[in-house]
Amino acid sequence: MATLTNWVEHLTAEEVAGQIYPYVGTEWLWLTIAIVFWLWWHISTGAGEAEEHAKLARKRHGSNDYKKNIPEW
Amino acid sequence: MDNELSALSTIFTEFYYWMTVVLMFLIHVGFCMYEVGASRYKHHQHTLMKNTLLIPLVTITWFFFGWWIYWAFPTGPGIAPSIMTESTGLILGGGFGANDLANPTNALMAINLGDHISGVFWAAFLLFSWTAASIVSGAVIERITTFAFGICAIAIGSVFWTIDAAWGWHFDGWMVKLLGYHDAYASGVIHAICGGFALGILAVLGPRIGKFSSSGEPRNIGPRNPWLVCVGLFLIYTGFWGFYAACNIPIFDLGPEYGMEGTTFFTATNIYITPTTLSGITMNFLMSLAGGLLAGYWVSKGDPFWTYSGGLAGIITSSAGNDLYHPLQAMIIASIGVWCAYKLHYWVERKFKIDDAVGAVAVHGYAGVVGLVICGFVLWGYPSSGYDGYAAINPIGMIIGAIIMFGVLGFLPGWILAKILHGAGKLRIPRDVELAGLDYNIMEAASKDEKSVASSSR
Repeated sequence: MATLTNWVEHLTAEEVAGQIYPYVGTEWLWLTIAIVFWLWWHISTGAGEAEEHAKLARKRHGSNDYKKNIPEW
Repeated sequence: MDNELSALSTIFTEFYYWMTVVLMFLIHVGFCMYEVGASRYKHHQHTLMKNTLLIPLVTITWFFFGWWIYWAFPTGPGIAPSIMTESTGLILGGGFGANDLANPTNALMAINLGDHISGVFWAAFLLFSWTAASIVSGAVIERITTFAFGICAIAIGSVFWTIDAAWGWHFDGWMVKLLGYHDAYASGVIHAICGGFALGILAVLGPRIGKFSSSGEPRNIGPRNPWLVCVGLFLIYTGFWGFYAACNIPIFDLGPEYGMEGTTFFTATNIYITPTTLSGITMNFLMSLAGGLLAGYWVSKGDPFWTYSGGLAGIITSSAGNDLYHPLQAMIIASIGVWCAYKLHYWVERKFKIDDAVGAVAVHGYAGVVGLVICGFVLWGYPSSGYDGYAAINPIGMIIGAIIMFGVLGFLPGWILAKILHGAGKLRIPRDVELAGLDYNIMEAASKDEKSVASSSR
């Protein structure tokens, strides 16, 4: 639902409401979704990183092996 | 905003802070360039990603709770009463508390036609928070996991620095009231704390493979791309202008604020709402940059890395009192700070086997601490605030302040957090990954195409 539908009515009202974003009053819902996404992101990327490291570590490359992947400098 | 003058003043202030945010973005661009330039080729892309990701991580947590902490914690809690609530508890309500100004669900934390300032002020502080996390980022390159760094970045960027800002960088902060703590442009509240935090992590994280010989002698791992480091540091200097501006309130009438009946005195003020001028602090910024560059070049015998870092460390040293110093004082104080930071860096490296890859602990931590201590002597007797009952600036208060910044809120939390992450096996990348290079898989995946392109003749 739109918080306002007519600027003239909104700005000439006896008391102009400062909040103009949509769905005023549902902030807790957005905050909960954002926090869940944030925590999920850490868990997901942390697990992905650990997996990638484990895979690379198993190959036991030497400290100069990366150079063979660079044909041009 | 019911008349043209008050509207002009409000919109000017809004635009002023908005500009500081844009300028301070360059600090982060500079840090990214600097870190990548300092890292070795096989770690470049992960180094860049690690620093870049602190932007979203610190931003969202600053929205969730970092900004709230700043407004809630000036009293400690439990250490000194607020001049607003007269209570030593958390400052939560009354129209100015954390729940009114910084609760992520309330009216001021969004577009609001009745408020032009809160959002840009939040953003200016957020850019300080990015800087805080980015300072730590450089020290730990090439061996910390991105996961662990993300947690550390949130801890320093959205928790510990904002606690110290509430305590010592707020007109109602208990350190200002009781200790006479003065830190106008954040020698301590950003730089000393972040240097201490980085040192705490480094003590647990350990050095890069090969940094120390088997007999314990440190080896130099110089920047791999000095030009990237050079441009990065120039951008950090540039962003620092915005940082200085953001630490000020651009226009304020101190007459009614200080209860001086019938007096009108419009001025710029620092964060403590004591007067200064943008003009004067610009002179001091440049003179401390000059002093730092000269000292850095001299003490390092012309080493470019330390000359540039010296410029930065010089500004950081003088920053605590740059709202009041004479420009020549700023220059000399900057030079002293750079000399101390350089000497301490190599002494700590040799003595404790600390591998600070970019000298962040020295440039930010040691220079910040030295700046606070010197400020206590040079500004001894100055009022720390215009409000009644505040302690004057003094050496003991500033030394205690430096210990709180570097040690209590910096080193200790960094060390404890690193210990926890280390205990969980999440702090450091595996040895074989460090040897192969963090970017090995990316480079290997691209190598077929790269080879084809390299051998193509048409």
